[in-house]
Amino acid sequence: MRHDLVIRVAGESGEGIITIGETIARIAAREGLSIVTFRTFPAEIKGGACMIQVRVSDGKISYHGEKIDFLVCLNQDALNENYGDLHELGALLCEAECDLPEEKSPRTVYRVPFERIAVREIGSRISKNIVVLGTLSQLLDIPVKSIEAFLAEKFAKKSKAILDHNIDALQRGIRFAREKLGGTSGFKYPSGKGDRRLLMTGNEAIALGAAGAGLKTFFGYPITPASEIMEWLAVHLPKMGGKVLQTEDEISAICAVAGASWAGAKAMTSTSGPGLSLMSETLGLLSMAEIPAVIVDSQRGGPSTGMPTKTEQSDLLLALYGSHGDSPRAVLAPTSVGDCFQLTGLAFDLAEKYQLPVIMLVDQALSARLETVDPELVKQPPAVTRLSVQPGADGGYVRYRLNESGISPVALPGTAGGEHMVTGMEHDELGNFACDEETHTAMTVKRYRKLQMIGNDPLTRGLSLHFGDEKAEIGIVTWGSTAGPAEDAVRLAASMGIAVQAIVPKILNPLPHEELKRFFARVKHIIVPELNFTGQLASLLRSTYRVPTISLTKIKGVPLEPSEIVDKIIEAQESLSVRSEKRYGRAG
Amino acid sequence: MEEQDKFCEYLSGVSPVWCPGCGNYGILSSLVEALGEIDLATKDIALISGIGCASRLPYFVKAYGFHGIHGRTLPIAQGVKVANPELTVVAVAGDGDGLAIGGGHLPHLARNNTDLTYLMFNNAIYGMTKGQFSPTTALSSITKTTPFGLFGEPTHPTALAIVYGATFVARGFSVKKEQLKDLIIQGIHHRGFSFIEILTSCSSFNTTDMNVARIIKRLEPVPASHNVEDKVEALRLATDEEKIYHGIFQRVERPTLEDRLQEVEKAAKKNGARQFEALLGQFQ
Repeated sequence: MRHDLVIRVAGESGEGIITIGETIARIAAREGLSIVTFRTFPAEIKGGACMIQVRVSDGKISYHGEKIDFLVCLNQDALNENYGDLHELGALLCEAECDLPEEKSPRTVYRVPFERIAVREIGSRISKNIVVLGTLSQLLDIPVKSIEAFLAEKFAKKSKAILDHNIDALQRGIRFAREKLGGTSGFKYPSGKGDRRLLMTGNEAIALGAAGAGLKTFFGYPITPASEIMEWLAVHLPKMGGKVLQTEDEISAICAVAGASWAGAKAMTSTSGPGLSLMSETLGLLSMAEIPAVIVDSQRGGPSTGMPTKTEQSDLLLALYGSHGDSPRAVLAPTSVGDCFQLTGLAFDLAEKYQLPVIMLVDQALSARLETVDPELVKQPPAVTRLSVQPGADGGYVRYRLNESGISPVALPGTAGGEHMVTGMEHDELGNFACDEETHTAMTVKRYRKLQMIGNDPLTRGLSLHFGDEKAEIGIVTWGSTAGPAEDAVRLAASMGIAVQAIVPKILNPLPHEELKRFFARVKHIIVPELNFTGQLASLLRSTYRVPTISLTKIKGVPLEPSEIVDKIIEAQESLSVRSEKRYGRAG
Repeated sequence: MEEQDKFCEYLSGVSPVWCPGCGNYGILSSLVEALGEIDLATKDIALISGIGCASRLPYFVKAYGFHGIHGRTLPIAQGVKVANPELTVVAVAGDGDGLAIGGGHLPHLARNNTDLTYLMFNNAIYGMTKGQFSPTTALSSITKTTPFGLFGEPTHPTALAIVYGATFVARGFSVKKEQLKDLIIQGIHHRGFSFIEILTSCSSFNTTDMNVARIIKRLEPVPASHNVEDKVEALRLATDEEKIYHGIFQRVERPTLEDRLQEVEKAAKKNGARQFEALLGQFQ
């Protein structure tokens, strides 16, 4: 039997809420447990409501959980905001003075005067979160030794006094739970038996994946929720001999990527929707001039400035088509933090091999979430390098040669005999401006053929997630981080006796046609859950495959919940029954 | 004749598309002569441009050429230089490309002191789109889009480069080929961001204010006594209402972007270079 526990800690930003969640996550990862977290960010720079939810499991999980088993609220606002998400059999740990809503069957409540313990007994308000951690760990039976060891590492660079101070706060929290709250709650933290796992955010996994893929130059402009990618690389990439430069805007960033990549360096930028909008002209240049580039878009609520700290999946069509003219690019969509690492490597491989831009679509929730990753997956892969030539001093080099392979070998600047032009204008094989119909047709076909080749490349085969029952008539197609709640929804539906199967393509351009066509042939209903208003993936599937879809959209700035998907599944199931009734007549 | 052959080595063989009488021919000739005189290997030259008449130049020169998009000459050039500091990077843009749509990049490359040479062809008009005003067109000019007279004051490219802190700032004139060649040579030799405004006349559209005869009348060399580290005096000369000074206005030494990035790498590696595996520790 799988053991899951969903914990949420809520309070005021700046109180160390996130530290509590991260400490629990870090300890669980070390014990080989699986972790998926979700956190919200206040719109304010300082203060404002924030929360972190941690789902711990001894099985495989891909979603942060819907109902909370154990809720921790450090003030009244946090309680008012989060109490509704507490499971009816869940428990609450809160600041002593909080008022609770009246209920017919009250849930277990633990009240602790955290503020008083921190301020009066310890004499420092900032220790409050460590007191909470102590009480929480005692109630959930988290091994104290692991927490102490973690704190010792965390404060290793600080003075012994600071560590002692924190251990004291931890112990006071534990003591209060033992003496006043009866020691343990009915909730138990799963016990780990597996090997230590790595714990990282989606943004960290992308940055690490890029470093592993041989990224040499990164150019970017700060933007929520993608900035951490650049910040991580700024610290670590130079250690590996790479360069990171913050530019004056996103246009400059992607143009520098174009220049650096043309000069031979693996190059990347990361941004969010507003930045991708600004970059779209240069995406066309990269397609036209056939220059490899990796662009990460961590989507947030849009359009325009939208909701910078909230999640959404509404840049799909921009990623697929954004730019004037016919401008091919590959689009990848990781579904988990592990994917963020692996698909970043793939993005570089595809960009280099096919000399085109590759966009990776993640979203705020995936960028910011901490998740455990199997260390076996986090290996530096052998990277693909660009097909290049040394033409020799006699010259005769043809940059855009129309050859059978479809990929024209590159002479990098600095190579003798390789002098050539690259250009955003339509050009002949030599790179000289040409606007006759034959050239434009031949070159457009050449550029688009690369997408077809990517679709047939073993690098992109078997990338989709499949889950559920292959015989099910109800199908789900989704993308990106919505894979997590979809997987839980399929499981939940199965427990209700409704068979569902799902496919989650991780490459959205080109789509895995054969795989999708086989899927569509197996199902009667196609539900497409995604986080945007217009149903962007649904419309892509309809126009590409001429299949009817049931679009399930959400634009609340937070991920879909499994129950919301299950509701749609039930609707589909009901219409299936109605249809069979029509066909076979009402029984009895 | 032998000299002539040497310069021809730097021509690609593609015929320029500029109008007869265009000042850009003179600039092209000064540029290839400068490249020849420095004796740069064509494989080590990266010529980057944006969109406009000036930006067609890379097609005509034997080098690695990148004809990018409108206004983005400098960011692309910066990317090239960061990726491969061994290359000699020359960026080419017109006054529209470099000061209207792309004007936001100039202060930042100047700040960074990216080691490249930026040739801004200033003909005070949009030639390629056939005669609309540019940021340097004179006040009250009648152009296709200002039939009742232009109401914006013209900007001064050289003055902007001075205040933005470009470490080498010069102004040349397409007709004074010998001097222009010399400025380009000095610009390329300068370590850091070299900005050269090149006055050039459009033979098709702007025949009034950026006219060769009118420029020559006002042309005056930067006084020999000018101290190239005196920013205030450089600015005064660059914005003089009567004279059009030509020559070097500003020249100072400062670490380049490439120097800074090397310092960053050195600091990051102070405990030794790291391989991929060493980065994993922080996630345990």
